[in-house]
Amino acid sequence: MSEPAAAVSTAPPVARTALAFPGPRRIVDGWELTARHATGDLVLADLGPLVKLTVRGPAEGAVRAALGTGFGRTARHDEGALAGALVVGAGPGEWLVLGPAGTGGELLAATRAVVADSGEFASVVDVTHGRALVRLTGAAAPALLAKVCAIDLADRVVPDGSAFRSSVARVVTDVVRDDIRDELDDPAGDGTARTRSYLLHCERSSGQYLADALVDAGTEYGIEVGAPPSAR
Amino acid sequence: MMLLPCPNCGARNVSEFRYVGEAKTRPDPTTATPQEWRRHLYLHRNPAGWTRETWYHGSGCRRYFAIERNTVDNAVRTAGATS
Ligand SMILES: [Zn+2]
Repeated sequence: MSEPAAAVSTAPPVARTALAFPGPRRIVDGWELTARHATGDLVLADLGPLVKLTVRGPAEGAVRAALGTGFGRTARHDEGALAGALVVGAGPGEWLVLGPAGTGGELLAATRAVVADSGEFASVVDVTHGRALVRLTGAAAPALLAKVCAIDLADRVVPDGSAFRSSVARVVTDVVRDDIRDELDDPAGDGTARTRSYLLHCERSSGQYLADALVDAGTEYGIEVGAPPSAR
Repeated sequence: MMLLPCPNCGARNVSEFRYVGEAKTRPDPTTATPQEWRRHLYLHRNPAGWTRETWYHGSGCRRYFAIERNTVDNAVRTAGATS
């Protein structure tokens, strides 16, 4: 009796983020994501497909100048070699470079070129598949984070465009304040209205736990899991 | 809760850190006698009062640094980075 031939699939491989939520899923840019739609005022979105690079090098020097920011701050590159990337000063001499999904090869090459041109020795490593990344958006986001993180999130301490690493629900997490433009509620009508938004980045193996802890802590604020309110 | 002043991150909960030990100079491996190694590894001053010690900020900047801590009342004062 012969074994039945194994089914051969010719479909392109699908990557999975660190997070899985109950309900429908869809494939975007080769990544399997939740297809749930969040319409509430507080949303947790899985940004796992974003390209994530870590850069390690001298804290204060040419690499820092080339990346455009240092420890505790962020820089969004709108032009130049790193156009489209958000550079986060994650630690002294440590950076996290985030880019749109599917741009891994180009962003890695561009970042390596920028670092090489600086003349300093630094390493650039693609950790896209090794980390979890979520975006928490809504006016209640700081109140939620205050339940699981000891850092004072007041504007005076953590303004828009700043970053820190600390314990969030007992997980070592990079927290990046990256407020997004509020298109629905803009009283001045000039595009200056902002909604509180944080990126949270941790090791992949802790990602599902962190997301579940945030959903638990956010229940009283009506948190929903779904697509990000902004594309990036 | 006890706060430790990290030279990179500011005051943080002590649970974010790992205690490394009393800050002291490592003997020269090429000339140290076994007695000197034993003293370095196992014997500590352990004073009732101010002591200089090394901590590691594992949940933050992932850097080692020195602080001075009073072992009687856990008061701390900064003593600069060690790496
Ligand atoms: Zn620190």
